[in-house]
Amino acid sequence: MTPIQQQVKNWLEEKRVDIFLAYRILDGHPLPHAFTREHIEETAELVTGPARYSLEKFATHIASRYPAARIGMVARDCNQRALNVLRVWNQLKDGQVETVPVTCCPSHLHHHADCSYLEPHPAGAVKQQLGQAPNQSLAEVEAQPAAERLDRWLYEFQKCIKCYGCRNICPVCFCKECSLEHAELIGTGHLPPDIPIFHLVRAVHMAGRCVDCGLCEDACPAEIPLRLLYRKVNAIVKDLFDYETGSGDTLPPFSILGDKPTMSPMPLLAAAQE
Amino acid sequence: MTLKRMTFLQHLLAFLGLEGRLHLEWISSAEAQKFVATVTGFTETIRRLGPSPLRTASLARSENVLTAPMRRSGCPGLSQTVVPEDGTKIVNG
Ligand code: SF4
Ligand code: SF4
Repeated sequence: MTPIQQQVKNWLEEKRVDIFLAYRILDGHPLPHAFTREHIEETAELVTGPARYSLEKFATHIASRYPAARIGMVARDCNQRALNVLRVWNQLKDGQVETVPVTCCPSHLHHHADCSYLEPHPAGAVKQQLGQAPNQSLAEVEAQPAAERLDRWLYEFQKCIKCYGCRNICPVCFCKECSLEHAELIGTGHLPPDIPIFHLVRAVHMAGRCVDCGLCEDACPAEIPLRLLYRKVNAIVKDLFDYETGSGDTLPPFSILGDKPTMSPMPLLAAAQE
Repeated sequence: MTLKRMTFLQHLLAFLGLEGRLHLEWISSAEAQKFVATVTGFTETIRRLGPSPLRTASLARSENVLTAPMRRSGCPGLSQTVVPEDGTKIVNG
């Protein structure tokens, strides 16, 4: 048994947790799996590695059905940030989830990395010409002339097949009722969905929530650079409100009233852009 | 709250390339002149910006979305058909 398999086994046996979320090899594939005391032998098949999934999303589902459940899970940095957001948004109780940290993306703190999505793939020829390359910095996107930038984003959005994969995988998408399924907001019956409304609605709702895990971009079958878009969303939140999503204990600025307004409305655009 | 959300949205729209088309102003019922100045100013801004590039594009069936990027870079183009969500029939966009 590896040390982590032993640890999970102990946690379950000691009743430190009732259920432990991690990955298990099934037919040669690492799949998300819930380990329990009843099937303790399965802990011998627990694996860690580059595969990742929003395990914390399962945790919220379990917590809403069984509020008293103590949940354990393996967690990378992105899982930790998401857990933090979910706690702040009252989807999980304080101390309800205990984590076993596993290796994650490289940073100046740790160089060894173990993640299915370290860096977005560089864009191919068509995407470079027409779309938004996912591995750009925000400054590079902003350096494009406004009309071209819009063209490029629309090119990306019109590939959307409205599979809801981005929402379904997202660890911090927990609403019971989703605006993306409101026929009044987003017309139904045709593909691509109303653009850019579909993607803007999602982007707006990610403000102060998105933990930059990249799972949506990873999941999107149309290769739309969603993480890039939401990175901007959080950059705005950081710039305007000095709110760092995924850290700290406060709700994002859109969910709390300030005591007095500290901003003033933006002035009218002075000169035409063209 | 409105101020926070609107300012956020203005920045987000600017990131997509749609700057200046959203404006927020507080005007009391006693400020007729401010109202006139704001509406006139904003109308002018919008006129200068021209018709919204999304006006036709918002359904993605438009010529604009499907061909504009390709026109810009001289790409032969991708599919210009709109597929109904149930995937049963193909209609021309
Ligand atoms: S990167 Fe995507 S999946 Fe991850 S939290 Fe942000 S919106 Fe959700
Ligand atoms: S995952 Fe991609 S294709 Fe699917 S709904 Fe989201 S943006 Fe559209």
